[in-house]
Amino acid sequence: MDKIIELKNISKSFDGETVLDNISLDIYDNEFITLLGPSGCGKTTTLRMIGGFVQPDQGDVIFMGQRINDVPPHKRNVNTVFQKYALFPHLNVFENVAFPLREKGVPKKEIKEKVDEMLSLVMLSGFANRRVTSLSGGQQQRVAIARALVSHPRVLLLDEPLGALDLKLRKDMQQELKKIQKSTGITFVFVTHDQEEALSMSDTIVVMSEGKIQQIGTPTDIYNEPMNAFVADFIGESNIVDGVMLADYKVRFAKHTFDCLDAGFGKNEPVDVVVRPEDVDIVPADAGMFRGTVTSVTFMGVHNEIIVDIDGFKWMIQTTDSVNEGEVIGLKLDPDAIHIMKKSKYSGMFGDYSSYSDELDELSNPGGEEE
Amino acid sequence: MNHKLNTYRLMLLPYSVWSVLFILVPLAFVGYYAFTDDSFSFTLEHFTRFFTATSTIANDDGTTQEVRTYVLIFLRSVRLACISTFICLLLGYPLAYIMSKAKERTQNLMMTLIMIPMWMNFLIRTYAWMTIMQDTGILNNILESLGFARIRIIGTETAVIIGMVYDYFPYMVLPIYSIMAKMDTRLVEAARDLGCGSLAVLRRVIFPLSLPGVISGITMVLIPSISTFYISQKLGNGKFLLIGDVIEGQYVANNLHFAAAIAFILMVILLAAMAVVKYGTERYVYGGESE
Ligand SMILES: Nc1ncnc2c1ncn2[C@@H]1O[C@H](COP(=O)(O)OP(=O)(O)OP(=O)(O)O)[C@@H](O)[C@H]1O
Ligand SMILES: [Mg+2]
Repeated sequence: MDKIIELKNISKSFDGETVLDNISLDIYDNEFITLLGPSGCGKTTTLRMIGGFVQPDQGDVIFMGQRINDVPPHKRNVNTVFQKYALFPHLNVFENVAFPLREKGVPKKEIKEKVDEMLSLVMLSGFANRRVTSLSGGQQQRVAIARALVSHPRVLLLDEPLGALDLKLRKDMQQELKKIQKSTGITFVFVTHDQEEALSMSDTIVVMSEGKIQQIGTPTDIYNEPMNAFVADFIGESNIVDGVMLADYKVRFAKHTFDCLDAGFGKNEPVDVVVRPEDVDIVPADAGMFRGTVTSVTFMGVHNEIIVDIDGFKWMIQTTDSVNEGEVIGLKLDPDAIHIMKKSKYSGMFGDYSSYSDELDELSNPGGEEE
Repeated sequence: MNHKLNTYRLMLLPYSVWSVLFILVPLAFVGYYAFTDDSFSFTLEHFTRFFTATSTIANDDGTTQEVRTYVLIFLRSVRLACISTFICLLLGYPLAYIMSKAKERTQNLMMTLIMIPMWMNFLIRTYAWMTIMQDTGILNNILESLGFARIRIIGTETAVIIGMVYDYFPYMVLPIYSIMAKMDTRLVEAARDLGCGSLAVLRRVIFPLSLPGVISGITMVLIPSISTFYISQKLGNGKFLLIGDVIEGQYVANNLHFAAAIAFILMVILLAAMAVVKYGTERYVYGGESE
């Protein structure tokens, strides 16, 4: 696969506030890459930099081998689907989609063909003469996508394009977008702060926080091997506990020594240990590697989400077994359920469910505060 | 008794009373006067007079010519008003655009500067222009001191147009500016993203979107400048009577019925023109049918 866009050591600040801090990122041809991170972490800014609406203070934007820092947006072979669609209200659906073609002076007949083709791709064939202001959010969204795709850019930038849609529509559009990306072969750079959306759609996920890239990888990499506590917490649910790496493949935490699959840490190096809630096996109290007291049980449909107090640290565990509040249970961890991360500045900030369980306590038992 | 009046309708009540008393009733009076003679019996004579009355005017080369007095004046009013409106648009549109792009403080300052003349009585403004444009006025003194020949402006159509442009300019700038100021900048970005350079963005997005402002600017300048009076008397030395002057003259001379008839004709024509403009823009700009 060829690199189509490279961001090299990009920094950007607004009014003295650093928004992007030395970001480097390679984007490959034909991939669906997602920038994922909490609000304000610099996703939109990164996207706008690729689109040409923001210039980096430092670093280079490379497009197919050429530095394009100073190339204005209209000369970049990159189109954007904006956060709120930005359709032209004075033009109907057809003319909105035809907009970039008219600018290029494409012959009328060809414009008609291409627009019709695009409208059918986004399933809006009968809508050519409708005013865009009369469309629903989901339909406007499709028009925006058709408009951005009609001139076959090399790269499509999508800034939280599904943010304004309701859950059902959102799921449908996710599938459709993925299909469109596959069928057109256009590189999609997608921005979202919804981790589920990122996991289900992307070839590559770029996790960002505070203007820095925390991790780049495939959805499974990111989920199974988070680089630090921030990523582990942001992607899915995680129990993150302090541990010590005794030796390769041996880690100690929760007053117990476990076998694990990680190596290459220093002897007795303090580490963060991640255990996903669905990877913990529940066994009878005396059969477990360690034990804990169930403090809450929430039925989630397919599984129960239980909070277990293990020596004062609250774990979240997802299980299909039925357990009761107050019950003492045994817990077992397979080596592949344990993931070891180096300590980072995010250590200790995430992965403890005490506040979570407190909330539940308060909800179920409004009278009785503990602290 | 109707106790079902909700608060909304109660709030509307004073305005309804107001518009009946001060808009509908006077309009009815205008209509009534226009179609009656001094003894208040029905007649169309004022309309006939408006369209057929003639007078003799002297041409520059000494010959004389029969003209339809009021039709001529009316057409002149329309012509001067159109020219003034066009100049206002030509000057006002770029200004509104630049203003909307400026920093907020600059915007407020420019706005104030544009509004200040409106705070002065328009008689005073007109007199000020007389002083400037007179044969021995400020403009000519400056020209002379710079070594140019004196020019004759006062008493020309140019002077009348200058006066009208100056008076009505803010009414052109403000509606266009207010549309441009709240225009969604993302639309501009979208256009650039889709391949438009600055000029194309202006032509394909900003201009069409600002059209409602342009239309209301044109309406707000054209209509009062067609029916304006006094400016023409003072700056045109009375040589270019406008329809507003005629109405005023007839009114002062106590020919209320004829004055009402002219006002009525003016109103009908303006309403028709506005309807055409409105229909036209909606149909061709916002209807947006494609081939
Ligand atoms: N033009 C600008 N001027 C000043 N500050 C800006 C500008 N654009 C972005 N910022 C700031 O940069 C930071 C990152 O913004 P950005 O829009 O990239 O975040 P984001 O990750 O897209 O967030 P969200 O998920 O809320 O859209 C924010 O603190 C924002 O206030
Ligand atoms: Mg954003």
